[in-house]
Amino acid sequence: MESDDMDYSDDDDLDDAMDYYGNEDDIDNVDPKKTDPEFFMYECLTVDEVEKVLNESVEKLSNSLKITPSLAKVLLNEHRWNSNDIIDRYRDNASNLLVSSRIKSGNGKKVAHVTLLCPVCIQSHTFDKFQNLSCGHSFCKNCWSMHFEIQVSQGISTQIRCMAAGCDVLVPEDLVLSLISRPQVRDKYNQFSFQDYVKSHPELRFCPGTNCQVIIRSQDLSSKKASCKTCQTSFCFQCGNDYHAPTNCVTIKKWLTKCADDSETANYISANTKDCPKCNICIEKNGGCNHMQCMNCKHDFCWMCLHDWKSHGSEYYECSRYKENPNIANESAHAQNLIHLQAREALKKYLHYYERWENHSKSLQLEQQTLERLKNRINEKVMKGLNSTWIDWQYLFTAATLLAKCRYTLQYTYPFAYYASMDPTSSRKDLFEYQQAQLEAEIENLSWKIERAETTDRGEIENQMDICEKRRLTLLKDFFPTTTSDMNS
Amino acid sequence: MAVNMAVSRIKREFKEVLKSDEIAQCSIKLELANDNFTELRGEIAGPPDTPYEKGTFLLEIHVPETYPFNPPKVKFITKIWHPNISSVTGAICLDILKDNWAAAMTLRTVLLSLQALLAAAEPDDPQDAVVASQFKDNYEMFCKTAKHWTNVYAKGPHKFPDFDAKVQRLRDMGVNDFDARAALSRHNWDINLATNDIF
Ligand SMILES: [Zn+2]
Ligand SMILES: [Zn+2]
Ligand SMILES: [Zn+2]
Ligand SMILES: [Zn+2]
Ligand SMILES: [Zn+2]
Ligand SMILES: [Zn+2]
Repeated sequence: MESDDMDYSDDDDLDDAMDYYGNEDDIDNVDPKKTDPEFFMYECLTVDEVEKVLNESVEKLSNSLKITPSLAKVLLNEHRWNSNDIIDRYRDNASNLLVSSRIKSGNGKKVAHVTLLCPVCIQSHTFDKFQNLSCGHSFCKNCWSMHFEIQVSQGISTQIRCMAAGCDVLVPEDLVLSLISRPQVRDKYNQFSFQDYVKSHPELRFCPGTNCQVIIRSQDLSSKKASCKTCQTSFCFQCGNDYHAPTNCVTIKKWLTKCADDSETANYISANTKDCPKCNICIEKNGGCNHMQCMNCKHDFCWMCLHDWKSHGSEYYECSRYKENPNIANESAHAQNLIHLQAREALKKYLHYYERWENHSKSLQLEQQTLERLKNRINEKVMKGLNSTWIDWQYLFTAATLLAKCRYTLQYTYPFAYYASMDPTSSRKDLFEYQQAQLEAEIENLSWKIERAETTDRGEIENQMDICEKRRLTLLKDFFPTTTSDMNS
Repeated sequence: MAVNMAVSRIKREFKEVLKSDEIAQCSIKLELANDNFTELRGEIAGPPDTPYEKGTFLLEIHVPETYPFNPPKVKFITKIWHPNISSVTGAICLDILKDNWAAAMTLRTVLLSLQALLAAAEPDDPQDAVVASQFKDNYEMFCKTAKHWTNVYAKGPHKFPDFDAKVQRLRDMGVNDFDARAALSRHNWDINLATNDIF
C-alpha cells in the first residue's frame, strides 16, 4: 500500500485476509459487483452521443415494424424506449398499440373531410392548403403551423396533439418539422423533444449540475452514486437527489421533507457552542472532530453527549444510539399529559437523529477547513525546506478525502436509523445501530488523528484509514438500499 | 399574426353563433364588451329540470392573443351555487378550459359545455369544496340553496322566504347581503353556525 493514489474502493487487504483463510472464492475477488456494494457501471455521454443512441433505437424499430422513424419515435417515447415490449405488442395487436400510443384515433373510422372549410380559422381554402393527421382530422397548413409554434413556445413538443375537439392523437415529428418555418422554433422543438426522450428513457439521466450538458447512462437502475466526469456533481442515479446510501430513495425524500418542515424546531439545537461539562467554560466547536478537549481544564469529552471521552473508547455505541425513555408510561397518570409527553418524546427522538445528521454535515465542512489550514502549514514547511517535500504529505490529503467519504455515509445512516427506530418489526435494527456506532467511532478516531497529523505517525493514520473504509463497506454491504427496501420503506 | 388570427376568428364565430338556433330559443347569447374583440360577455340559460332552471347566467370572457390555439378565460359574473364554480369568484373548473381545449372548439362550444356543466356537476373534481361536499352529503339542501341563489342572483322563479328571513337577520347585525347568504349556505342555513363563522 505504498501508492500515493490508493483506491480505497478496492478491498485488497480484506481480500488478502479472506484468501489466507481460504473462505472466499476467486470469482468474487475479481467481480467488483460482489465486493464493492457501491460498484456502479455508467458512462457520461454528450448530447450528440445520446442522440446517436436514441437514433439507433429509432432506426431499429422503424425497420422491424416498417413504420416511419417519426412514428417509431412516438412509440418509443410513449413506451419508455422498450423496443422489445413495443414489438411484442405490435405483433399481438397492432391496432390496439397504435391507439394506446395515440398514433391512431380510437374512434375507428377515419373522419372523411368533405368541406374545404378549416374549422380552426373558419375560412375556406383550396384542397392543397389542407393537411390531415392519421385520425383523419384535417386543417389548413397555416393553422397547423400556428398551433405548432404556440405549443413550442409553451415548452410542448412530443405531446403536441390534434386540433380537433376530443381527439388526443399526437402529431409526429416529421409533420411538425415540415410545417414550422422559423429555424429558432425548429431548434426549440428539437431541444424540447430531446429532453422528453431522455426523461422517458429509463437508462438516461441529465446531470443535475448547473449548466452541465452531460447525460449519464447506466443499465443498473438502482440507487447508486453517479458522478459526472465533467462537473463532478454526484447524485443518486435512481431519484436524482444527493447520493444517500444506506437510506433508500423513498426514505431520504421523506426525511428531507421532514427536515425542511421542522427546520424551525431543529434550528435551536444547531448552535455551535456548548459548555465544558467539567469547568463550564464556553467552548466553540472549530473542528469536525467530536472528540473535544477543553482549552481551559483539558477535560476530554464527547461533543454529542457531553460525556467523558474515555467512556467512548469502546462504548461510542451509547452515543449514536437513541435510548427510548422506558419510564414514559409511568411519568403521568393523566391521559392528556401522556399525549403531551409522547409528542415531546417524538420530537426529542427526531431531534436526536437530526442533531447527529446535521452535526456530521457540519463536521464535513469543518474538516474541509482543517484540511486547508493543514495545507498552508505544510506549504510553509516545504518552503522552508525542512527535509520534506509535498509528496511526503500527499497521504494526508488522501486520508482527508477518505474521511469525507466515510463521514458522508455516516451522515446518511441517520435518516435510515430514524425510520428504522419507528418500525417495531425491523429485525435488523440492532445490527444496523451496532455497525453505525462502530463506523462513527472509527471516523472520529481518524478525524482526531488527521487534525493532529504533524505529531501523528503516518503508519497510524494509514492504518486508521483502512479500518474506517472497511467499517463503511461492511455497513453498506449489509444495508445497501434495494429498490423495495425491506427495513425502512 | 396571432393577434389578427384571434380577432378574425372571433368575427367569424360571431356570424356562426349568432345565426344558430340556440339564440332563437334564448338558450345562449354572446356579445362584445369592448371594441377590440378581446373582451366578451356571454349569457346562458339555466337548463330545465335543474336548480338553475329559468335563471340567466352572465359570463365574462377574455380572449387571449393566441386564441383559438389557447382557450379563452371564462368566469361567471352571476353568483352561482355549483360544485365546479367558485361561489365567491365565479372561477370555473372545466377540462375544456384547460388541458382539453382544442383549437377547433369555439365560444359556442364553451357556452354549451358550461350549460351542460350546470346540468351535470362533477363533485369529485370540485372548484368549490364546500358546495361539493354539500352536494354529496346533503343533496336536498344543495338543490334548495342552488335554487335560492338562482332566484336571488339569476332571476329564477323559486322564492325561499325562510332563507330570505335568515339573511335579513344577519343583515340587521350589519353583515352585507352576499356575505350573509354565503355563510348561511355554507352552514346548511344554520344561523348559529353562520353567525359564528362571520364573527
Ligand atoms: Zn385554418
Ligand atoms: Zn384528430
Ligand atoms: Zn455534470
Ligand atoms: Zn435515490
Ligand atoms: Zn473545561
Ligand atoms: Zn457521546
